[in-house]
Amino acid sequence: MKMAESLEKLHNRILSDAKLKAAGVVEQAEDKSKQVLDEAQAQARRDANDILAKASLEAESIRRSILSSRIRGNRLRILDEKNKIVQSVLKSVEQGLSDIVDSDQFESTLKRFVAEAVEAVGTDNAVVRIGFRNADKKSLQSLGQSLPKGTKLLVDETAIDDLGGVVASDPEGKMIFNNSFRARLERLDNQLLTTISSTIFGE
Amino acid sequence: MSGIEAVRKIVETEAQAKRIVEEAKSRAQEILASASEEARKIRQASTAEAEQRRVEMLRETREKAEADARSSDVETDSLLESYKKLFENRKDAAAKKAVELILGN
Repeated sequence: MKMAESLEKLHNRILSDAKLKAAGVVEQAEDKSKQVLDEAQAQARRDANDILAKASLEAESIRRSILSSRIRGNRLRILDEKNKIVQSVLKSVEQGLSDIVDSDQFESTLKRFVAEAVEAVGTDNAVVRIGFRNADKKSLQSLGQSLPKGTKLLVDETAIDDLGGVVASDPEGKMIFNNSFRARLERLDNQLLTTISSTIFGE
Repeated sequence: MSGIEAVRKIVETEAQAKRIVEEAKSRAQEILASASEEARKIRQASTAEAEQRRVEMLRETREKAEADARSSDVETDSLLESYKKLFENRKDAAAKKAVELILGN
């Protein structure tokens, strides 16, 4: 009877140890399982954040690519149109200067241009060349009477620099002052563009 | 109970105990395999969702940029139209001022 009891206890003990060990194995697996899932979720969040961060950069790049090319194109269209307008006004200005011969301010303007040119050359015996389209040669030559003594007047058949004007030099031609309309247009280029732009565009 | 019978019973019990532990190990393997599979699905689902959001984000960005670009086109067209009107209205005044500047009046 005693041996049977001892055997039963041993039987129960062996099974109890086995169940305990089994429970430990399963519990360990469950802990490991929870750890794997936690790590997976954390990694999934990191992966998703990486994808979205890259997407954000990609989106900014796409936005810039679409907008910058269009905005650049539109800026060019605006500059092109402004330039066309300014060039068109400049054509009118050139025409207006060419036509000044027919206006009543021609004579006074011519005298002023000559005086400026002679003063710029700074010699007593300057050579003054004048030439305007459709100008009456006789009236141009009459200008000679108003020039300082020693100044030589030459009247060209054609307009100086296409638009007309005055060129003064010393007798050797070393010192030249070009006071043609074209030369004045070039000298006053910046002021001219500012004047035209501010008048047309109010800038 | 004879000694042989007792030994046989202990051997049987040991075998039963071994089975219990082996079954637990097997169960543990299943738990880990299942967790591994679930982890894979979690990452896959998260990546798929993020990719979907990425596609949506890029689509919205492209549409917004295109709309802004069209708006810039419209603004530019309007500005160019106003330039043409300004030119027509002010070209004579501009040319007159420019001529006066060149003449030095």
